[in-house]
Amino acid sequence: MRLSYTEIQDELDSSELSALPPLRIAVLRNVVVEPIEPYLRYFAYRIGFSARCEFGAYDNVYQEAVAGQSGLLDADTDCLLVFLKLENLSWDLARRFAALSAERIRQETQRVKDIAAEIAAGIRRQTAAMIVWNGFELPVHPSLGILDYQRSEGETAVVEHLNAFLRDMLAGHKSAYLLDVNACLARVGARHFYDLRYWHLARAPYSLEALEEIGGEIFKYIRALKGRSRKCLVLDCDNVLWGGIVGEDGLAGIRLGQSHPGSPFREFQQEVLNLHSRGVVLALCSKNNEADVWEVFDRHPDMLLRREHIAAARINWSDKVSGLTQIAEELELGLDSLVFVDDSPLEADMVRQHLPQVTVVELPEGRAVENREILSSGGWFDTLSLSQEDRQRGAMYRAEAARREMREQSRDLGSYYGSLEMVLEIRVADELAIPRVAQLTQKTNQFSLTTRRYGDADIARFGASPRADVVHVRLKDRFGDSGITGVCILEYEGGRARIDTFLLSCRVLGRGVEDALLVHCMRRAKQRGCRVAVGEYRPTAKNAQVKEFYPRRGFRSVASGEGTERFELDLTTFDAGEPPHFHRIDVQFPTVALAGAGEG
Amino acid sequence: MTDRERILRVVSRILRVPIDSIGDDTSPEKVESWDSMKHMSLILALEQEFGIRFSDERIVELLNVKLIAEAVGELKAQADSDSQR
Repeated sequence: MRLSYTEIQDELDSSELSALPPLRIAVLRNVVVEPIEPYLRYFAYRIGFSARCEFGAYDNVYQEAVAGQSGLLDADTDCLLVFLKLENLSWDLARRFAALSAERIRQETQRVKDIAAEIAAGIRRQTAAMIVWNGFELPVHPSLGILDYQRSEGETAVVEHLNAFLRDMLAGHKSAYLLDVNACLARVGARHFYDLRYWHLARAPYSLEALEEIGGEIFKYIRALKGRSRKCLVLDCDNVLWGGIVGEDGLAGIRLGQSHPGSPFREFQQEVLNLHSRGVVLALCSKNNEADVWEVFDRHPDMLLRREHIAAARINWSDKVSGLTQIAEELELGLDSLVFVDDSPLEADMVRQHLPQVTVVELPEGRAVENREILSSGGWFDTLSLSQEDRQRGAMYRAEAARREMREQSRDLGSYYGSLEMVLEIRVADELAIPRVAQLTQKTNQFSLTTRRYGDADIARFGASPRADVVHVRLKDRFGDSGITGVCILEYEGGRARIDTFLLSCRVLGRGVEDALLVHCMRRAKQRGCRVAVGEYRPTAKNAQVKEFYPRRGFRSVASGEGTERFELDLTTFDAGEPPHFHRIDVQFPTVALAGAGEG
Repeated sequence: MTDRERILRVVSRILRVPIDSIGDDTSPEKVESWDSMKHMSLILALEQEFGIRFSDERIVELLNVKLIAEAVGELKAQADSDSQR
């Protein structure tokens, strides 16, 4: 529910803000935007921060940014907002465009670009805080009238060009982003976006409605910056994915299709799928007979969502609080990663009461046409970057769920493993694998014998050394490809192979990958002329599970001191075989030049 | 809540002064926090509260609670008669 300006002030005054972590926002501006402050503090409070806003002096952006004339910007600043309004930067471009010569337009455009670039660079000299820069607003009534939009150097085109410049210029700085003010303007509408009275009374151009919209947009960035973005969308079924109640109306009776009254639900599903392709994990939590729901998924011709998009489902008559809790557990996500969509005020309220960490989206009754808009306007899942892994996240979770199901059905572990049809690829890391290998050394905590953190350059150095091998393992099974999920770094010296690093991503634990990797690494060490392998266990707060890893595989403890334990394995008698349950283990190591290998 | 109570509530929240300290003669001269920036917030909040809109010329005259209450009353009466027409 939207709160009024006064209610927001009320809520802020009556909340325990001092208990929340601080968020420092600095504002550089050439117009008056002070009334945005309660909105910023309120949005901060909603994601668990106590915000403090400091405003630079009116129209002093250049001095403060470039000459450093302010105490505004320092190491504690989290986010820096820039409001540079074209009217106060170039009256010519903003208000007397029709009178300008082509040459003058070019000069003035260049001048604005130079100032903006200097300001951004000046800010970056003072602080590493995230910069969110409000773009230039497109003219609502360009001074050349309808002709303007036909011109490649018209007023609209120049503003578009300036915004494109800002976007590229900011992309050249770390953690600097252009806020799409024209999207905010379009949502609110120009008649409500500007307050012309206060533009003239105080050089305050924006209405409260506009400031609320811009504030919400700013917080999409801050939420992502602070890692408060959500990861999983949990959906109710009846009156959310389709209109009507499948248990009563039947497969043919529910509303879902290309035309009214089924089209709003189809469009909603398309938006859900768009989130899925951005890496949002999808789940179902609904009170239905499970078979009814899957029948719609499998047989309804207008369903866009398919079973394979759903990573977890609780379709039963239990309460949604336990359903959501179980979904979070199953997907190994925190409750604060979930967004829950339901049409029932009762269910929504229950979840809000019992699981305040979950974002609850209550779809209004009788207004299905708005559902898509509600889902896309939230920005709950917005991130500042999108990696290949993000895009595939949904598929990975789904594969894990399928494996779990098969495991529950299998009589014993051996037949479970067999049914997975696991294929391992064991390789020496090439250039393409370096970033992922380095990332694993940085992120792996549990199954990690030495927990040495390496950057790309470190891994590349091992890789280039004639006396070392960086070995990685990739696991595929009938449900999907887990990617590179295990690493072993070997260093050879004087007939001894030192296992510098041995780790496995928690994504593939409990499937015997570590045994296959170790066996082939030991064979490799032998091939490189080593007679002894040396392993270490360096205890951390999180890696107790691998304390016995080496002794259980025939390594002999030789020394322990300062927490680190060392083990040795006699390679001359080593003859362990591959674990039997892999469908195939595909090993490709480069050939070793025999002369001198491992002898150094 | 009467209109008067609603006005006092908005004034109290925006200027952050206790509601019972506010009277007809409460004005920028008497309340330290009531500067031009707060005046803008106050006007905008009142407009939002009552769904009304002051003219720019009126805004600069609304310099105590009595004047504000009168202006709110006028604009509301006007809006009511407009909607009956």
